[in-house]
Amino acid sequence: MYDNYYEPEEISVKPGETVRFVVENKGNLVHEFNVGTPDMHEAHREEMMMMVEHGVIQGGKLNHDMMNMDMGNGHSMKHDDPNSVLLEPGQSKEVVWKFSDKGNIEFACNVPGHYQAGMYGEVNFE
Amino acid sequence: MKPRFLTGLLSLLMPAMVMAGEYDLTVDRVEIDTGDFVKEGIGYNGASPGPVMRFKEGENVKINVTNNLDEMTSIHWHGLILPFDQDGVPGISFPGIKPGETFTYEFPIQQAGTYWFHSHSGFQEPDGAYGAIVIEPEKREPFRYDREYVVQLTDKHPHSGDRIMRNLKMIPDYYNREQQTVGEFFSDASKNGLMNTIRDRMAWGDMRMMKADVEDLQGFTGLINGKGPEQNWTGLFEPGERIRLRFINSSAMTYFDIRITGLDMTVVQADGNNVQPVNVDEFRIGVAETYDVIVHPKDEQAYTIFAESMGRSGYARATLAPEEGMEAAVPQLRDPARLTMADMSGMPGMDHGNMAGMDHGDMDMNSSEGMSGMDHSNMEGMDHGSMAMGKGGQNDPFYAKGSGLVPTAANGGKFLSYADLKAQDPLYEDREPTREIELRLTGNMERYTWSINGVKYEDADPIRLKYGERVRFKFVNETMMTHPMHLHGMWSILDVGADQWNPIKHTVSVQPGTTVYMETEVDEPGQWAFHCHLSYHAAAGMFRKVIVEGGPESTQAKTDVIAKDGGEV
Repeated sequence: MYDNYYEPEEISVKPGETVRFVVENKGNLVHEFNVGTPDMHEAHREEMMMMVEHGVIQGGKLNHDMMNMDMGNGHSMKHDDPNSVLLEPGQSKEVVWKFSDKGNIEFACNVPGHYQAGMYGEVNFE
Repeated sequence: MKPRFLTGLLSLLMPAMVMAGEYDLTVDRVEIDTGDFVKEGIGYNGASPGPVMRFKEGENVKINVTNNLDEMTSIHWHGLILPFDQDGVPGISFPGIKPGETFTYEFPIQQAGTYWFHSHSGFQEPDGAYGAIVIEPEKREPFRYDREYVVQLTDKHPHSGDRIMRNLKMIPDYYNREQQTVGEFFSDASKNGLMNTIRDRMAWGDMRMMKADVEDLQGFTGLINGKGPEQNWTGLFEPGERIRLRFINSSAMTYFDIRITGLDMTVVQADGNNVQPVNVDEFRIGVAETYDVIVHPKDEQAYTIFAESMGRSGYARATLAPEEGMEAAVPQLRDPARLTMADMSGMPGMDHGNMAGMDHGDMDMNSSEGMSGMDHSNMEGMDHGSMAMGKGGQNDPFYAKGSGLVPTAANGGKFLSYADLKAQDPLYEDREPTREIELRLTGNMERYTWSINGVKYEDADPIRLKYGERVRFKFVNETMMTHPMHLHGMWSILDVGADQWNPIKHTVSVQPGTTVYMETEVDEPGQWAFHCHLSYHAAAGMFRKVIVEGGPESTQAKTDVIAKDGGEV
């Protein structure tokens, strides 16, 4: 992941294939690698906006204490879903994902502004 | 414009081939048709605006400028880093270009992004002498798009620049038609109480000021790429494309609030430098500033680009559409903004203790709404109390607390603030400044004189800086107008409280009643202009010459500079 784009920008998979993504953040800002449909990404962007407003994501840093803060309705802002990773510059993590059926799938960074600036990639099914 | 590329011969002589582009510009009398009126003005290569100059980062450019006017002219490349004798300011960079003469500018392109150029002689720029500069980067940009357009705004007035200056000197509110009305009196009375309203009018009357002094110059037709609202400049797109819009405000005096109904905008560049992407619904562009945004229209329909002047007296309008001839609804102008006492707070002699009976608790300050669902009082690290709240609860630390000028998005969404701008790639390491220079922005509206530290350009000493130092400029706005301060030749690192991520700009807007800081790494020798970019303010004296002493051979600034030159200049 770079500021603000992925390399590669598209990948090809077979339906049913399981892929291990080794994601490395080579940029100066916090970035996300998130696999899902465009609708899922749009919903997630609202959540990420809240993370920025509450100081969890601050440019090139993550505030880990804030991530565990109780928002008052049982939710926290821990970013621990299996289909995504949120990385500080220099960090590296893996995402293992099975692409069961064909669909409109993208990988995207939902940090506010990044998707709109073009930080997404296409998953093409063979 | 005929680009001629010098290759071949040069490559035999040099070990590596140096990219070089040669361009020709003529400065001509032209006719400008705004749709509302036709007026003779000045343009480049037979038109106003002039051509879009397209350069490449890393190339050496050679620009031959032929003056076809019967008076001196000049071209200043706004925002470009170049040797001072190529900067185009008569009396500071060079003597100017004589009638009939061809002057050749030659300099390396050391940056990428969106910039602009304009005459720096007389009032030729408001008369039409401006154009755009687009510089292609060497490396990949931190954003993607499928097509791009320059969207260059100006405030074309039916009077020539010379005539406007003469009128302003005689009658300072000659062009300020938006006075408060009887109707406003009654509606304020019912909102704030009759006694409060009477006291308010009397207080303002005592000061001999109009609350409506948000804009000096009304009566203009807003143009986008040379076209008025009726002429409707249109940019075509295919639904699903990402479009980069290069907004440039080439006005003489007007700030515009820009929105595209139905489209969010993602701001990716400010003043030619990449910023961390910010999604907004609307933004305010100051005179001489640029903002690059990405939009992503998905539907097969037209969208209106609407640019309302800050004082709401006029507007500019353009369209993005899948086909020529398509139009979308054009919004109505919103109600004019009114200054409040908070905007006046910077002015000298404002003794609020004397204004008996003014209950600020009732006037102009709206309660903060919209913070539902969260108990913010418990959250550490957020000091909501210190942020300036305008109408509707918007915060903007770059406006006076209680200001009447804080912009709100027409659709209730996000309005860009300077506080949202963070550099994507800082140009300089963050370090402590070597000294601070205070510049009070001053003026006397009754005589239409504008100045810095109370002194007009012709009576002032130059500001002396030492090559290698880092100066922190403190702008204190003691007037009730907004001033876009532009330092030529070196970057202005605007202090938004983000340390190394402070955005890098060339023009910094200072709102009434506020103090704004910016820092400059003094790394370009020679002498440079430094002025308010409101054309009639600069001409009235809000201008300084900056002399940079020393050059690349000399050592870093010594601390005795502070003892000798510290304080007011």
